[in-house]
Amino acid sequence: MSAEAVPSPVEERRPQKRKTSDLARSEERLAYLLLFPTLLVIFLIAFYPLGSVFYNSLTDRTFASAREPQFIGLANYANLLSITIKELPPEIDEETGEIVRDPDTGEIDYVSPVSVLPREPRRYRELTTFGLGGTRYVIGASDVNFVRAIWDTVAFTVVTVALELVLGLGIALVVNSEFKGRGLMRVVMLVPWAIPTAVSSRMWEWMFRDTRAGFFNIVFQDLGLGNGQIPFLVDKAWQLPAMITIDVWKTTPFMALLLLAGLQLISHDLYEAADVDGAGRLRQFWSITLPLLRPTIAVALVFRTLDAIRVFDVFQIVLQQKRYSMATYAYYELIDGQRMGYSSAASVVIFFVIFVFAVLYIRMLGVRND
Amino acid sequence: MTEQRTNWIGRILFWLVIIVIAIYLLFPFYWAINSSLKSEAQLQMTPGTYLPRNPADGSIDLFFRNYTAVFQNQRFITGLKNSVIVAVSTTALSLLIGSFGAFALGKLRFRGKQPSLYLILSMTMFPQVAVLTGLYAVIRTLNLDAIPSMILSYLLFTLPFTTWVMTSFFEGLPTELMQSAQVDGATPFQTFYKILLPLTMPALVTTGLLAFINAWNEYLFALTFTTIEPNARTVPVAIALFTGQVSFQEPFGEIMAAAIVVTIPLLLLVLIFQQRIVAGLTAGAVKG
Repeated sequence: MSAEAVPSPVEERRPQKRKTSDLARSEERLAYLLLFPTLLVIFLIAFYPLGSVFYNSLTDRTFASAREPQFIGLANYANLLSITIKELPPEIDEETGEIVRDPDTGEIDYVSPVSVLPREPRRYRELTTFGLGGTRYVIGASDVNFVRAIWDTVAFTVVTVALELVLGLGIALVVNSEFKGRGLMRVVMLVPWAIPTAVSSRMWEWMFRDTRAGFFNIVFQDLGLGNGQIPFLVDKAWQLPAMITIDVWKTTPFMALLLLAGLQLISHDLYEAADVDGAGRLRQFWSITLPLLRPTIAVALVFRTLDAIRVFDVFQIVLQQKRYSMATYAYYELIDGQRMGYSSAASVVIFFVIFVFAVLYIRMLGVRND
Repeated sequence: MTEQRTNWIGRILFWLVIIVIAIYLLFPFYWAINSSLKSEAQLQMTPGTYLPRNPADGSIDLFFRNYTAVFQNQRFITGLKNSVIVAVSTTALSLLIGSFGAFALGKLRFRGKQPSLYLILSMTMFPQVAVLTGLYAVIRTLNLDAIPSMILSYLLFTLPFTTWVMTSFFEGLPTELMQSAQVDGATPFQTFYKILLPLTMPALVTTGLLAFINAWNEYLFALTFTTIEPNARTVPVAIALFTGQVSFQEPFGEIMAAAIVVTIPLLLLVLIFQQRIVAGLTAGAVKG
């Protein structure tokens, strides 16, 4: 026994003579002691708040009032998620009994959607209208903003992650080859990742400016597109593409770095053997690179998808309340509306959407969880 | 001869692709630098110029007052200070707590180890926004100040990651080290902090860097928790809500200058610790 070893109070002085079970027990005790702070923190900032979010989502709790919150069951969810489809009848002229047509275009005029959407038990508002088989329908939602936010967030997620995968894979393949300055290139790849999203959002907001002081308006006009005044961040058609552009730039490097690490695990011998067999580059990519990269792609997709669904920073900073992601909607309900119960229900919905995507991925790509 | 020529064309194409990628990744940053060196009049020039130019004669004309204005902006300076406090404290706490937990998970035998590992792993993907209202309520009930609130709540994303990466690092250390120390009479805890912890220095640096960068960049919690306490705002919130001292219009020149100022320390970290950061980012994700 060395002289400086100070026996701890919980242990006997001569450990080598102790029974194994004693040793195992003291090891176990130490393990619990060391793990305790981590578990305590996780309980305090994850499980307890998550439980309270679930509970509050069933109440009408608000911050501002002193009134006791009432238990209202699933009413918050019903209000957040209710949608309905109604047929939109053509407008009938009261005197002639004929269908009203637009005098200029000759197209059928339809009644205002508000008149067909239910008002009880909750008021529905128009989300969108569409035609199918000669009939016009209107989709109504009781919380138009949230339903739109779900749709926008899912669309945003699918498109950004798909673009990131393609771009990220391309960048990873290029940077994976040997060339001078590869180290520098990896630094360059880390730049968008390292910039705070709040900062990059403002940089891009400035680039998307609605005058020719903005980079995109300059380029679009140089290419003969638009009048140099495209309001990218106000125009409904441009908002999502702008958000996607910003996020793809910000997160593609992360995807590329993950894929690059995966590529480096693939043995060179395989490619040499394929060269000997006379397989072309494209063939090698499909038969060697892609199958062997699959586990990495799967993990990268899971990471990025779960991240994209909860997108907050870029939507909140650039679009504020012009258009919502699910997370910014929950935020504004909480902070501006002080409607804690309602905001909690929105959070739970986000949680479930993330959960569904996670399960889908694990099924689809067979991510091993060992 | 033809083979040589295709080779040559291939090389040019390859470098062209590299350059396009580099421009794509760096251009927004360049545009921000460019804009930060323009005066209000230069910013309003249409079309905007790729270099700061004098509106009258088109000569290159750099304008540095945005930077001096940023450093005179009290809210921005306070933001920098808050960010340093929050990011450093979060990093220190998650390294301390995380390395304890990771040692237990990586080197000790105990019942309930597998479930704990799964718990930590699933926590690394935990969506922050899901607990936003719950945490906000906890903090309002406890009457916690915004800065400790941020430090505590940032552990939500730094601690599981730190613990997870450190665990696999501890697992990789030879068990003989521990055994021989125990034969010498050291307690497991002494083995941990005298022998194993110094060996994990590389992992501590890697996870610490990532924790620091993530905490420095965090926006959602910072914005929410400082709603009623503007003095506690961190840099990302300060930049998102940046307003000029006088002008009604958003001072984009100053905003871009502020953006460059907060990004430079991060770029230095990236430049110095490039390999460690990449290793940390891909740790856990790419292990077959």
